[in-house]
Amino acid sequence: MNPSLQLLLVLWISFEVSFTSRLTANLVFLILAIIVLLFHHLRFRQWLWLICGPFLPALALFVTIVAYSPGHDLHFGLVLVSRIYLYVMAGATVTFTTTPLKLAQSLEQTAHLPAKFAYGTLSAVNLLPKIKQEVTQIKAAALMRGVTLHLWSPTLYFKAILVAINWSDQLAQAIESHGFVEGHPRTAAHPITVHWYDWVLLTSGIIILQVLLIAFP
Amino acid sequence: MEYRIHQLTFTYQEQPVLVDLELTLNSGTLYLFSGRSGSGKSTLLKILAGLLPRYGGNLHGEITGAVPGSAALMFQDPSLQFALDTPRHEIEFALENLATPPDKIPQRVADALNFCQATHLADRRLVTLSGGEQQLVALAIIVAMDSQLILLDEPFASLDHNHRAQLLARLVELKNQGKTIIIADHDLQGYRQYKPTVIAFEKGHCHVLTDQEANRRFDQADELAKPLLAHLPDENGAPLFSFDAFELTTNGATLLTIDKLKLFKDRITLLTGESGSGKTTLFKALTKLHPYVGSVTHQGQEVRTIKAAPYARQVGLVFQRASNQYLNVTVNEELELSQKQGQNPFFTPVRVQMALEKLGLAKMGERVVYSLSGGQQKKLQLLVMLMMGQATLLLDEPFAGLDNQSIDVVWQLIEQSRAVCPQTLIIISHQSAGLASHIDYRLHLADHHLTYQGEQRHES
Repeated sequence: MNPSLQLLLVLWISFEVSFTSRLTANLVFLILAIIVLLFHHLRFRQWLWLICGPFLPALALFVTIVAYSPGHDLHFGLVLVSRIYLYVMAGATVTFTTTPLKLAQSLEQTAHLPAKFAYGTLSAVNLLPKIKQEVTQIKAAALMRGVTLHLWSPTLYFKAILVAINWSDQLAQAIESHGFVEGHPRTAAHPITVHWYDWVLLTSGIIILQVLLIAFP
Repeated sequence: MEYRIHQLTFTYQEQPVLVDLELTLNSGTLYLFSGRSGSGKSTLLKILAGLLPRYGGNLHGEITGAVPGSAALMFQDPSLQFALDTPRHEIEFALENLATPPDKIPQRVADALNFCQATHLADRRLVTLSGGEQQLVALAIIVAMDSQLILLDEPFASLDHNHRAQLLARLVELKNQGKTIIIADHDLQGYRQYKPTVIAFEKGHCHVLTDQEANRRFDQADELAKPLLAHLPDENGAPLFSFDAFELTTNGATLLTIDKLKLFKDRITLLTGESGSGKTTLFKALTKLHPYVGSVTHQGQEVRTIKAAPYARQVGLVFQRASNQYLNVTVNEELELSQKQGQNPFFTPVRVQMALEKLGLAKMGERVVYSLSGGQQKKLQLLVMLMMGQATLLLDEPFAGLDNQSIDVVWQLIEQSRAVCPQTLIIISHQSAGLASHIDYRLHLADHHLTYQGEQRHES
């Protein structure tokens, strides 16, 4: 599915289920999200994260509502649990089925967001592995100067921020040196198309959601 | 196309960097900007590329002929020049920016990568490429963009001889296509045969050298680049580092295997090898920054299991990128930290002051370290690490971007300091210029193996 429309659909679903408490709708979309994920052959560890990650918060909510709330409302407890898993699984369908680059390209081409925004965010995402390397390196550099930096050391953050500021300037220069001019027309090496079925999926998804929310418990 | 620079003056933080420059640049010509680090070469390149003064500084005077977007600049540090994840995506991004018709993009990407012999890197992640490989990719982008004015800032600092000769040949081909190429390089070795127009920079001024003057500079460079004479070690003493069935891998590929090898204490060992062959990764493994298989011991203790903090007082790493070494903001703060924590008795405050003057860093105490020129950053980095006085220093390209005079000053410092406080130095350097008289042993990394080079020492 087109990444922008997919993101829109997922945000739409998450938004609506946040303000309603219908178990059927939650479960139906949760199952749909899991089916989509099954088609993408996730690794065992990824499944493990998806299932175990939200488990504790979900359990805590469930116990709080069912055991300690005045009504001991089992239905509402299940709604909250399924809602948390729906957020996680639906979010995962976006992150696992598309790359940050594709999403940025789609946001630029389909959603017509400014290219500056799309590529600025993308280059920040691409900096993440560098940031990890940098933090390890900062700690090592400090040790070699006789200074131990802990996770709570202000110097670590000061240095990391300094590096980030330096990078942001360099990144802007880098993007410009590769011919990027704000507002200039660009072409697309990989045109992101919107197929008829993208619209069908989006609209049918939203319609089904409304039906489920109105007609089912 | 002709570029004319008229009465150009550039100041940065109230310090004049370029003063009253007059210069005419013709198309289809290869220019070589030569001069000490901090002489203003990089600054002029960034002005021509249109990045300065928009990113700081004040400019007076005029440049005619330069069309915005017609110039492409390769940065001194190529890893800072990428915004996307892989070389292919980065080149596509550049071509999209130039509004290249989409059906032409794949071919131009392929051509540019092919031109730079970087096709095998196309889909690797940029963060996993070595410095030399990143430079290949940076050049491929410039080639793909088909810019009329190609600016290169110390492009060969971390490339080995072969890559360098290859790339220079490519640049000459681009020149013959009618492009203007400007290379800023303090090291003039290997340029003579391409007959560049040499422009000498000194303290913010510049002038075009005559053929004779240029030839004299080339002679000097060749003299310094003579092959290194070294001897094979014949020591039986306790080694400092001892490798045994040691193996390094990156991205699942074996980078380097060492069956058995010793590195010796209180010696200076030069480590050479192709760019991307794993020299930097080896340094990282020796400083606990990269995992390894097998065994390497430091004075009998397995490096993997040594506690990081005390080990860092024993073995120091001088990073390839100077800014990685800094923890503070200003030059003075960096010096104070090393003065306070350092264990090298040679560096008394008076001697530090003298060193600063010799290195051309005096009166820069309040400057922000990141605002120093590439060469100045490198010199300050070397000084603060020498002051720390670890028994062993691993230096990764310590001379990259430094002119010969600065390199001499650095060696003087190292030797004076070692006379008082003996240190083991292991140095990665592509530039062998002027190293012969300083090093004890030479290790070469090729075909994933590390071997000592040189002749058997004869008893006399």
